[in-house]
Amino acid sequence: MWYITKREIYDNLNSLRFALTTVLLIALMATNAVKHLREYPKRVQKYQDAATESLNRLTDRADDSLYKLAQYGPGDFYKKPSPLHFCANGGELLLPDTVEVREPPVFATDSDDNVLLKGIWSLSYPDANLQNKDVGPNVSQVDWAFIIGYVLSLIAILFTFDAFSGERERGTLRLMLANSVPRHTVLIGKFLGALLSLSIPFALAVLVNLLLISTANTVHLTTEAWGRLGIIFLLALLYTSLFLALGLLISTRVQRSAVSLMMLLLMWVTFVVFMPSTFASIASSFSPVVSFDEFWKQRNPVREDLWDKYEEWLWSEKLDDSTLRAKSKFYTENAERDERRHEERLKYWTSQVHRARAITSISPATLLQHLIEAFAGTGFERHLQFAGNVQRYARQFRGFVVDTDRGDPESLHIIGVREGMSQKSVSSKAVPRFEDTLSLSKDFNTVAMELLLLALFVVVLLAAAYLAFVRVEI
Amino acid sequence: MLVTLIRRELLDNLMTFRFAAAVFITLLLVVVNTVVLLKDYEQRLTAYNTATQESHQKLRKEKVYSRYAMYLTVHRPPNPLSIFNLGLDKQVGNKIAVYHAFVPTVWDAMKHGANNPFLNLFTSIDIALVFQGVLSLLALVFAYDALAGERERGTLRLVLTHPIQRGYILFAKYISAMLCLLVPLLISLLLSIILLTTSTSISWNVDDFLRIGGIILTSLLYISLFYLIGLCISAMTRRTSTALMLSMFAWGFLVLVYPNLILTAVDIVPQPETQTSAYNQIKQMWEELDRENKKFLRNDTVLGPLSRDGEAWGFRLKGSEYSFLRDEDEPSTLLYLYQSGFYAGKIKAESEPHVPHVQNYYGFHNREVVRTVQRTWLVRKPALEAIYIQPAKFGGMLLKFSPVGLYDAATEAWAGTDLEGIQDFFSTVRRYRRAVIDYFYDKKIFESRQWFAADQGTADWDALPRFSFQRSGVDINAKRALPDLCLLLTINLILFTIIFLIFIKSEV
Repeated sequence: MWYITKREIYDNLNSLRFALTTVLLIALMATNAVKHLREYPKRVQKYQDAATESLNRLTDRADDSLYKLAQYGPGDFYKKPSPLHFCANGGELLLPDTVEVREPPVFATDSDDNVLLKGIWSLSYPDANLQNKDVGPNVSQVDWAFIIGYVLSLIAILFTFDAFSGERERGTLRLMLANSVPRHTVLIGKFLGALLSLSIPFALAVLVNLLLISTANTVHLTTEAWGRLGIIFLLALLYTSLFLALGLLISTRVQRSAVSLMMLLLMWVTFVVFMPSTFASIASSFSPVVSFDEFWKQRNPVREDLWDKYEEWLWSEKLDDSTLRAKSKFYTENAERDERRHEERLKYWTSQVHRARAITSISPATLLQHLIEAFAGTGFERHLQFAGNVQRYARQFRGFVVDTDRGDPESLHIIGVREGMSQKSVSSKAVPRFEDTLSLSKDFNTVAMELLLLALFVVVLLAAAYLAFVRVEI
Repeated sequence: MLVTLIRRELLDNLMTFRFAAAVFITLLLVVVNTVVLLKDYEQRLTAYNTATQESHQKLRKEKVYSRYAMYLTVHRPPNPLSIFNLGLDKQVGNKIAVYHAFVPTVWDAMKHGANNPFLNLFTSIDIALVFQGVLSLLALVFAYDALAGERERGTLRLVLTHPIQRGYILFAKYISAMLCLLVPLLISLLLSIILLTTSTSISWNVDDFLRIGGIILTSLLYISLFYLIGLCISAMTRRTSTALMLSMFAWGFLVLVYPNLILTAVDIVPQPETQTSAYNQIKQMWEELDRENKKFLRNDTVLGPLSRDGEAWGFRLKGSEYSFLRDEDEPSTLLYLYQSGFYAGKIKAESEPHVPHVQNYYGFHNREVVRTVQRTWLVRKPALEAIYIQPAKFGGMLLKFSPVGLYDAATEAWAGTDLEGIQDFFSTVRRYRRAVIDYFYDKKIFESRQWFAADQGTADWDALPRFSFQRSGVDINAKRALPDLCLLLTINLILFTIIFLIFIKSEV
């Protein structure tokens, strides 16, 4: 078997396609690295400025008083740019990179614009950035997902379309099988040969890319990031095997290599280029035309008017326990309702996106895109993770406010009302910090299904190629 | 002799598997995508109709003229030809306010409809994309063995023993292959048009069919270009397998890699200095207006004391019910405006003497606003062009080094979904805004009592000029598509000459 593999590799190394592939892949990967080096520092700078400002705001509020902290909440949250952004762009331009903390709403003012009733903060999730400002041509970025998903898969087909049909045309297949070599050995040899000779230029290109990126001092890759890169590299090989297996399968069944290439190319165009967008269109046309507002109205037909419910207490200026408690309840319920509405909206839209993603998963190119996005820490799932982290932090933050308030003996422990809360300042160090954690095991969990599906595709195609080759007449 | 050659080539091509596969796959992709795109178009049309209806009703609910600032909106209908080339049709906003305090542009437009914005994460598709990807591939597959194959099999030698000029052979091959490639193109387009005409939501006119004709012509030139590229490779190489490999890499590079690579590699960033300086200039003009305004109010004997240091919040008229504010501050699109007004249901008798002063003030104020906006527009227009249009045009130009970019630009121009086609709509909106302002001047509405009060007659919205938008005529589409078409044609001719020279000189 190793002889066959070795022969295949030697054959390929001298071929025109090998040279062209190497040049093409290196050019693409180098461009990708240069682009990343140019943009990543800017992105990080922007994030750090925003995050520092947000943290300063939090410190100011903590220095002021616990009440201020309870009323205004933490500053806005920002999504940390992924250092592996060059692997998958993940529609970052379209996705919002913040979760906003809304200013407390003003419920009533007197005639001289003095605020009488002011609520407390709540979270809100910005919509996707619709990007209608840019009128330039719409192209996809050259990231690893593009290079692997489109270019490498096309090259994989070009490497295998004549694996058997070409040898059959030249008559060498008959010759080889005349030796005492089992057919499956031939198949595996061919497969490994193609895979190895394809991974050489790819590994070379990846090396150039990573060398460029890691030698620059602007991008710092942690051990975990290297691990993730390793996983992405393996994914690329798995994905390439899929197309190699497809190439072998078609090549065994078809007599002439030109016909085999034709069939493969058409399949490739359909599955890789058109299927994702067509199925996404189909999926989005299935999604209900009902806007979220209508959906919300249907779900909550009787809008309980909080104002009516608490009116008798809201206008009173008394500072007794029941009035303050009613005010606190009014503020909290309002904030909760706002927040729930925003959350529901995100959920409503997320479910639609997930449905569309599930449908487009028929195309292996989309599967790969999702996988790389997940491991590079970009894209839609990452956005949801970020939102989830923010929600968890918000709970923690609220818990912290209540706990600290409990520690102050002068306070009445009525959250959200000035008179009912501790007025002491809080050490800003004691306030919990927002941490946007990413864990590899969690990422594995989110894409386990996709990973399985991709592996399944490969196994099925390889098995089919095996069966086809064993039964075929030479 | 030529006819015999063409017939032979044609028969050769028609009987092959690749021809059958070409027809099948093009038909499949075009039909499926037409159905999907038609549904999408219908959805967008429904959204457009609902939105137009809603804006119409909302405006009718208002009683005073000044409230039009919030509710006079016009909507951009989806372009039915966006099925063929989507262009900017979906990307750019389609809802725009008409208001005397700003000049509407593409960048101020919002989006109507209930669509989930996150669904834009998925790439969209159109029929031009199918042709772009599939037909170019097919053209190369038809071409790669046209000369190299015959040379390998030795039939080329045989043919040349007859007294035929080499040019004829080339020409015959070209004609027959183009005829073969036309079949999937025309059949699939025909099917797609049949599907589209069954839909009641699209009304086609003669111009639209001419535009589709233009798209077919462009596709033809595009396919021919790829066929010639294939033929060129075939003429230069000895072996079919080399020709095939080179053709496929050429395809991958031109269609797949180059358009994405070039825009990643070349960093097109607008100059932020233009933006900040223009924005500051515009803001200054508005601040100047504000000062003028306050000066006017202070000098007015009646309104001076009524307006708290020059603020026009209802002038403490008895009977004024609420005041409103419309302000925009968007440094990224250089939009800055600040307008306040108020609504009075029934003005009480005690405030009646003040009313002429208020009317006078609004007459002055609105005239000044229109003048200031005119001045800001002189700054804003060139700045917006420098910030958004020039980079977009530069990017488009870079793309045109690949036939794909040329094809895309030309079909966009035919379909009217290119930047200029979209701009047509916004210039119509600007004209409409002018018409509304002229109407307000004519009827003296800016200084009328109905501007803010609803007690002596209310606003008559039906007398307002109507907005209507017609896509530009097919001649204008043709004019916009012509440069790219000419380029495609020239490249075709050059390639053909090159192939001819190579083939004449080559040994068989």
